[in-house]
Amino acid sequence: MNSILTVKNLCKSYPSFRLDNVSFSLEEGKITGFIGRNGAGKTTTLHSLLSFVHPDSGSIRFWDREYDEHELEIKQRLGFVSAGMSFYAKKKLRQITDVTRPFYHAWNEEAYRKYLSLFSLEEEKTPDALSNGMKIKYMLALALSHGAELLILDEPTSGLDPLSREELLEIFLELANQGKTILFSTHITSDLEKTADNILYLSRGRLLADDSLPGFLAAYRLCEYAEGQVPHEWEGRLIGPGRTKNGFSALLQASERKDFPLPCRQPSLEEIMIHLEKED
Amino acid sequence: MIGKLLQKELKLCLHPTSFLLPLLVALILTPNYPYPVSYFYLCLAVFFICLTGRENHDITYSLTLPVAKADLVTARFLLVMLIEWAQLALAGLFIWLHGILLPQPNAAGMDANLALIGEGFFCFGLFHLVFFPSYYKNVDKVGISFLKGAAALFVLILVEIVLCYALPLYRNILDTPDPLNLGAKLLFCAVGLLFYLSSTWVAWRLSQKRFQQLDIR
Repeated sequence: MNSILTVKNLCKSYPSFRLDNVSFSLEEGKITGFIGRNGAGKTTTLHSLLSFVHPDSGSIRFWDREYDEHELEIKQRLGFVSAGMSFYAKKKLRQITDVTRPFYHAWNEEAYRKYLSLFSLEEEKTPDALSNGMKIKYMLALALSHGAELLILDEPTSGLDPLSREELLEIFLELANQGKTILFSTHITSDLEKTADNILYLSRGRLLADDSLPGFLAAYRLCEYAEGQVPHEWEGRLIGPGRTKNGFSALLQASERKDFPLPCRQPSLEEIMIHLEKED
Repeated sequence: MIGKLLQKELKLCLHPTSFLLPLLVALILTPNYPYPVSYFYLCLAVFFICLTGRENHDITYSLTLPVAKADLVTARFLLVMLIEWAQLALAGLFIWLHGILLPQPNAAGMDANLALIGEGFFCFGLFHLVFFPSYYKNVDKVGISFLKGAAALFVLILVEIVLCYALPLYRNILDTPDPLNLGAKLLFCAVGLLFYLSSTWVAWRLSQKRFQQLDIR
């Protein structure tokens, strides 16, 4: 597989936060989920990729080219979509597109019309008049119309109702099928269980996991137990124990499962994240 | 690329006040008014452009485009200069009309004459020098940057009004009805233009440098 994006030892310090030696790479045509709690550094990482913020150190290479030296060429092949931003809320979509179109050599008007129709977007509407899901779709339509090969999506499903989320996830899957590479930051882990091939897990500025989704899920087991039920010698090996409605739950390394005396089950991505955060 | 960015500025970033406030240069037709204050209204329009840009995530949108960061600064400078030159052209028209309709001296500072264009160059040049480097140091604090720019502008306007009464060069030569002392007034305009161009150049380079270093969060 070709690496679309390679990040090595990315560091960025703020007075109250530090992105600490983050390294990962993205495979072509795959959806990579970027998870972590609020404030873990997901947006700082994504913004570093696009030079919105200046990393203190580290290297970022897109398509094996240094970002700083080939910024404009790389941006022609990138699409950035962020749920938190609504550009020019009072301008018509047509006006925004008219301005955006000339910047891209590979703009495909036919594709743009196709996505407008597919996403039921009306050009005479303003972003203000669109739901959050429709805003994301418009930004996606822009990105796809200039032939973006890599889509960087910053919490695209945040604040959407379940149906709109499902609809967007289907679009992402279809785009990945077409060969687009997607880096998808979110804290809604169930979205990634439905779509992601790979998982990057960031906690307090450090990348704790970079694995395939099945590999990441298979690395842990979840045990649920009542007070005093866990033998004393196992207490220190449980990861991120916490209270549940019926007692307690904690993660366990899957490799230790066979010796553990209590029943365990496969945890969800969310359960893994919660317990790892508790442990951290 | 600058041309495309200027198109973006004109189509997406212009605030309605960008058209209305510069028209207040028509105050030149008002008797006994401190005419350079009308240049302040244009600076207010610049503030509104930057403020609505912040609310509309203009910079984030622009940074996703395949353009160099420094070019965003250049395009904004060109937009502002375009409006300023349009206002100065209008000022010329109103100065001419003032001479026909209200041919009496101004009791509140400089007469409506050619030197007022020179004052415009000084006002805009100083505003660029104070406002833009501060704005591009932190694009979120546009209000603070504008307060600094406006304060500098009002000090300059006040000094110019005082000079009209205190300094013989102003009182006897520049603060006179046209076409008296036309050569001196043209020279004053040329000096103003030189100040405008040089301070705008310094402000532009400084703004580019600061914006380049700025983290957009």
